[in-house]
Amino acid sequence: MTPRHRDSLIAATLAITVVGWMLAVEGRQGIGRDESQYFRAGEHYWGWFESVWQNGRKSLTRAGIDPYWGDNPEHPPLMKVLFGVSWRMFHRCDCTGPERVLHPIPIIGKHRTLPLFARESTAFRFPAILFAGLAASLTFLFGRRFVGPLAAAAAAVLFVAQPHYFFHAQLSCFDAPITTMALLMGYAYWKSLRSPRWGLLCGPLYGLALATKHNAWLMPFFLVMHYLWIRRGDLRKRRLPPVPLAFISMAVVGPLVLLAVWPWLWPDPMGRMRGWLLRHLEHEHYNFEYLGENWNLPPKALDLKLFRMTFPFVSTVLTVPVTTLALAITGAVLMLRRRGLHPQEGPSADRPSWKRPGADVDLAPGMFLAIQILGPISVLALPAAPIFGGVKHFLPAMPFLAIAAAVGLRWMTGVLVPLVRVRALPYALAAVLCLPSVLETRRSHPDGLAHYNLLAGGFAGGASLGMNRQFWGYSVQPMLPWILANRPPSNAIYWHDVLADAIAMYARDGRLPLGIGNLGADEAAIPNSDLGIVIHEKHFSLFEGRFWDSYGTTRPAYVLTKEGVPLVIGYKRPK
Amino acid sequence: MSEPVDLRRRRAATVAAAGIVFLALVEAAAALIAPSRVPSDADWRAAATELRAAFRPGDLIVAAPVWADPVMRLHLGDLVPQKVAARLDAGRFGRIWVLSQHGAEAPETADAARAHRARHGALTLLRYDRAAPAVTYDFLDNWQKARVLRIDPARGELLCERQPDRHQCPEIGFNFVKPQLLEMGTTLRNAFYAQPVGGATVAVEFADVPIGRELAVGVGLHHVWLRKVADGTVRLRVLIDGAEIGRTEATNRNGWRVDRFDTSSRAGKTGTVRFEITSDKPYSRHFGFAAEARG
Repeated sequence: MTPRHRDSLIAATLAITVVGWMLAVEGRQGIGRDESQYFRAGEHYWGWFESVWQNGRKSLTRAGIDPYWGDNPEHPPLMKVLFGVSWRMFHRCDCTGPERVLHPIPIIGKHRTLPLFARESTAFRFPAILFAGLAASLTFLFGRRFVGPLAAAAAAVLFVAQPHYFFHAQLSCFDAPITTMALLMGYAYWKSLRSPRWGLLCGPLYGLALATKHNAWLMPFFLVMHYLWIRRGDLRKRRLPPVPLAFISMAVVGPLVLLAVWPWLWPDPMGRMRGWLLRHLEHEHYNFEYLGENWNLPPKALDLKLFRMTFPFVSTVLTVPVTTLALAITGAVLMLRRRGLHPQEGPSADRPSWKRPGADVDLAPGMFLAIQILGPISVLALPAAPIFGGVKHFLPAMPFLAIAAAVGLRWMTGVLVPLVRVRALPYALAAVLCLPSVLETRRSHPDGLAHYNLLAGGFAGGASLGMNRQFWGYSVQPMLPWILANRPPSNAIYWHDVLADAIAMYARDGRLPLGIGNLGADEAAIPNSDLGIVIHEKHFSLFEGRFWDSYGTTRPAYVLTKEGVPLVIGYKRPK
Repeated sequence: MSEPVDLRRRRAATVAAAGIVFLALVEAAAALIAPSRVPSDADWRAAATELRAAFRPGDLIVAAPVWADPVMRLHLGDLVPQKVAARLDAGRFGRIWVLSQHGAEAPETADAARAHRARHGALTLLRYDRAAPAVTYDFLDNWQKARVLRIDPARGELLCERQPDRHQCPEIGFNFVKPQLLEMGTTLRNAFYAQPVGGATVAVEFADVPIGRELAVGVGLHHVWLRKVADGTVRLRVLIDGAEIGRTEATNRNGWRVDRFDTSSRAGKTGTVRFEITSDKPYSRHFGFAAEARG
């Protein structure tokens, strides 16, 4: 077996393992507000493809596009299309029964599918999970540029086995997929420095990244920063470096690909593109707890600004498994100190060209990783950047951080193996160093958002530090049996932050009956309820007060906890 | 010369590498062990049983860390009615029970002596005793006795009408004073809900108040989303028989702020206590305050 074949086999094994692991456990993870809307949008988008089949060119007009693509236009379509396609292909169809009313598109007849998954939500989630598998493979393959196969495989494990990433990677959302796209773009750009084929490929890949999530807007900045660094010799000589084919391709082909895959833009490309940009540049600051404070506005006072700027750095230090952090810091120090230690990253030709713009210079992998890690994290340090969502907004840093950790692991192997001459030592060492992250990830599931690492003191330590422990009401799933068992005769149930779309999907999955009551999210509905929940977030105490007032008690009927830390509080109206 | 340097480097590298391996083992062990160090339902039930047997009316029960409060109320919520759960502060309580985990302490017991300690698995039941000042007057309990006015520079004093659930001031719908459970600083407090009025002073006055050694006053701004809409400051001036004894203010940043104004020079006497509420930027300022005369 050639090294290349071996690497391909390892990459495939990693992908399959990750996909298998996530499919085995995703069913325990509840449905958040955002995910439930992407289920709905994905099915809507599928509905458009059905309408094209039925109505032909009429579906390409504004009137044919907007009823389908007008759902959730604040996020680009790629993943939602894949969610919808996956649902259509792989769900087990009971769609013509009473549950047909829960679908956002008309169900005309029983779907012929390949029924891989028992739950519809799993079919929706499958593409995101495949992306996570792809990311594991890519982490390994990119890691192989710098370290041996064992350390590179460890990089893939250390990347996936991060409780917060693992949580997001199972959802039919965009945070894990855009992480995959960031890695793919980084890899393609890296290769493009010496290969015109990869330079061309950067354009379509960037278009797909743009179609995945708006984090893609930042990618060119990080790549340009690295490129200017490796070509700093030109800048010192006041000479313009060659403009890489990759950047030309990204600038020209990228937007065209985005336009091609997003029919919502077609009726008014510039206007709707502008709306999409503005929506995110002017995004509302939702409530988010950080170090005991509830943040929902950009801070104005200097001390608060400085405090707020620590958010992504402190969050990284308290959420990434500590051993992974220690390895990454070790690796980063080693890489920043090296100068073309790896022969393939040193100069390979005398002169550059726009097709091979990195041919004559050291590719500075340490700086590349540093920018890819610190870039996404630093953007969230800007005081005006909303911090809701927390770690998920800078997940694209994590595969690169894991690659840095692999460099640290390689160094440790080099230090320790000569001391203990046991052939299996490198494998044992890699296993020991990956073990805590795997155990922490297993421990955290299905509440990865509430997880904090050893430095923080675990779940309880994170809570004591006043760190955010959840959002979007995903955590309610383990309480569904209690809600059903205590369903009041009035059916007047208050679900707080669990959206109607999420309740509908729980029903489609068979976890709730079709007729389960839902009074809506408005706090004013609480007095009308006989059973209800409050998602336990700092800014939601208001809602708990309404229960105290209207139920006449401060005593909950149920408290869902993770390692003793409350996540959801259930109230039942006393008889 | 270079050999010892190399040797030192190698040793340092070995120590660093071994340190990371040790860290990995500790982290792995913590991941396995930590979940078992969490108080179980049985621990909570056992602690609650012991506490119930010794509980006296007027005792305060708190959880430490405070995030465990809902679990504490799940087991003992019938002993923590809304009046206690949404208290001004812990100043009036002489006996404080703490259900503690992970060695946490309760800030409510800062000036109290520990009188009891019992372990129930991963949970520790503690009781702290102190000589708490008696509450000579709870202004919220006496809300109906208040005289509420809006003082308009152009029109003078406008008396507000007492209604079943509030004092409603004339002409301006939101200009009322009523007792209500409010969310201030993301905590729940029983308080007077009294929105300021631009260019005017809202006054809440209580006659014949038995004055103690201190007047505890808590202030805050209600409703997390309504706080977000504006950034004005609401000022509260406290007067006894026309003489100012203290000022405080509520801002978006203050959360629930408690001040204790010294009234020892008037202790034992009765007087008229007046709270004056003003704001230069009253838009979306859903002010709340509570007060107790103590000692």
